[in-house]
Amino acid sequence: MSNWKDLKDNPRLKNIYETRLQILRLIREFFWSQNFVEAETPVAVRFPGQEPYLNPVAVDFLDPLKTSYRLYLRTSPEFALKKLLATGIEKIFEIGKCFRNEESFGGTHNTEFTMIEWYRAPGTYKEIMDDTENLFKYVGEKIGKNKLKYRDQEIDLSGQWERSSVKELWQKYICVNLDDYLEIQPMRKLVLDLGFTVDEKDEYEDLFYKIFLNKIENNLGKDVPIFVYDYPASLCSLSRKCENDERYAQRFEVYVGGLELANAFGELTDFKLQQENLQKDKELRERLGRPTWAVDPSFIAALESGIKPAGGIALGVDRMVLLFTGARDINEVIFQSVADQLEN
Amino acid sequence: MASTSDVRKGVVIKHQNELYVVVEFQHINPGKGSAFVRTRMKHLGTGKVIEITYKTSETIDIVNVQFQNMQYLYKSGDNYAFMDMNSYEQIEMDGDLVGDEGKYLKEGLGVVVGLYEERPVSLQIPKKIQYTVVEAPPAVKGDSASGNVTKEIKLDNGLTIQAPIFIKEGEEVLVNTETGEYSARA
Repeated sequence: MSNWKDLKDNPRLKNIYETRLQILRLIREFFWSQNFVEAETPVAVRFPGQEPYLNPVAVDFLDPLKTSYRLYLRTSPEFALKKLLATGIEKIFEIGKCFRNEESFGGTHNTEFTMIEWYRAPGTYKEIMDDTENLFKYVGEKIGKNKLKYRDQEIDLSGQWERSSVKELWQKYICVNLDDYLEIQPMRKLVLDLGFTVDEKDEYEDLFYKIFLNKIENNLGKDVPIFVYDYPASLCSLSRKCENDERYAQRFEVYVGGLELANAFGELTDFKLQQENLQKDKELRERLGRPTWAVDPSFIAALESGIKPAGGIALGVDRMVLLFTGARDINEVIFQSVADQLEN
Repeated sequence: MASTSDVRKGVVIKHQNELYVVVEFQHINPGKGSAFVRTRMKHLGTGKVIEITYKTSETIDIVNVQFQNMQYLYKSGDNYAFMDMNSYEQIEMDGDLVGDEGKYLKEGLGVVVGLYEERPVSLQIPKKIQYTVVEAPPAVKGDSASGNVTKEIKLDNGLTIQAPIFIKEGEEVLVNTETGEYSARA
C-alpha cells in the first residue's frame, strides 16, 4: 500500500518512498559521475522485443483523421538504447517506466515498473558485473545501509559478491553436468527423474526453468548477492556466444535472497545472427499463439552500421528499493501501484 | 486435477502424496519459459513450509476443501474456536495452522475457514479489521516537532500497534492485517 493517505499516516511507508526518491537520485549521480549519457527513449514503440514469453501492453494511437496505429508499451528500452550506441555514444543509461502484461499486481511484480538499463560500448559483461556491484555499494554507503533485506533474510552488501556459472550451479544443486542436458530430450528425462511433470508442449526453456526455479533459484544470493552467468545459448537471443564454449552465451542474472534483480548480456552485435535469433523468437511466439510483430528493422540496421563490442544490463529499480528498504512487497515501494489504484 | 489458475490461498494441494495448504502464492511471468505460479505451502501434519513452483502447463492435485463462513469465538489453549454460521456447530482449529493471524482475531469476527474432511485447515481473515482503541497515551505538545509522529496504542482484543499521534482512546480504527499496521480511522 502506498497511496497519499498511507504515506501521510504511516512513517514507515513515507520513509520507504523518500528512500526510493533518494535512490533514484543516487543512481543518476553514480552514472553521471562516470560520464554516462542519460538517455530518454520512447515508452510506446512500434516494434517491441521478441522475448517469446513476455506480454507487451498494446496501445492504439489515433491521428487527427482517426486512423489507428498499433504500438506497444516497451517491456525494456533495449533496442532504442542499442540504436543510440550505433550513433557513437560509448556509455549510456536510461531510467524509465516499462510494462509487462499478465503479471501479478503485487508481490514482486507491478505491470508498470521502473527499470534502469545501462550499456558500455566498448564493454564486456564482466565490466557490467563490476558496475552493478559498485552501484549497490555506492547507494548503500550514501544511504547508510550495508545490508539488504528480503523477506526474513539479511544479505551482506559490504563484501565481495559471489560469481557462479549456470553450469557450476547445476553441478552444485542438481549434481549433473549441464553440458549433457543442452538438448530437449535429455532435459525432459531429467525433469521427470527429479519428480516433476512434463507436458509434450514444453519447450527446452520451460524444462530448464522447472528445475532452475524449484531447485536452484531459492538458494541464490542468501548471504551475499550473486551473479549467475553463462546460460545455455538457446536461452539467450540477444547475447553473444561464450568465446571458450559456444554452447553457452554471455548472459548473467543477479540474485539477492532468491530474488532476481537484473538480466545482462555480452551484447550480440552481429546483425545477421541477431536477425536470425529474433526471427526464431518470433516464430516461437507464433507457435505459442501469442501476438507477433516484425523484427524491428531499424534495430537490425543500427547493428549493421556497426556497434563496438558491448555489455549491457536491465535492472529492476523497484526491487532494488525493496531490498534497500526491507519493504514487505513491491506495492510498498511504488506510489499508487496498480493494486493500490484498483483498491482505492 | 486442477490447473495453476485454481491455486488460491487456503486450498489444499496433494504434493508427492503429502497434503499441504497454500499460505501464499503468486502468478509470475518473468520470461523464464511459460508463466508459473510460485506457492508457499504448509504441511498439514508437520506445519513445515515449502516453496514449490508450478508451470502453467502442469496439472495440480488440489483436494476438495469446503470453505465456510464462521465466527471467531475464543482461544482455547493453543487452539482457536469458531462457530459455523450455517449449522451453529463449533469447531476448533490448530494454533499452528492459524499461525500469526491469530493475533488479529476478536470475538464475533467473521472469517472463512477451509475444511478438509471436516478438519479446519485454513483461515482467511478480512484484509482490514475494525477495532476499538482501549489505550492511547495522549499526544504531548512538541511530539511532531521532535519527530514522534506515531505512538503505541492498544486495541480491544489486546493487540498493540503503532498509530498516528492524533488517535484517541475510544475511537474505532482499521488495521491492515497484511502488514499489522494502522490503516485509517473507521
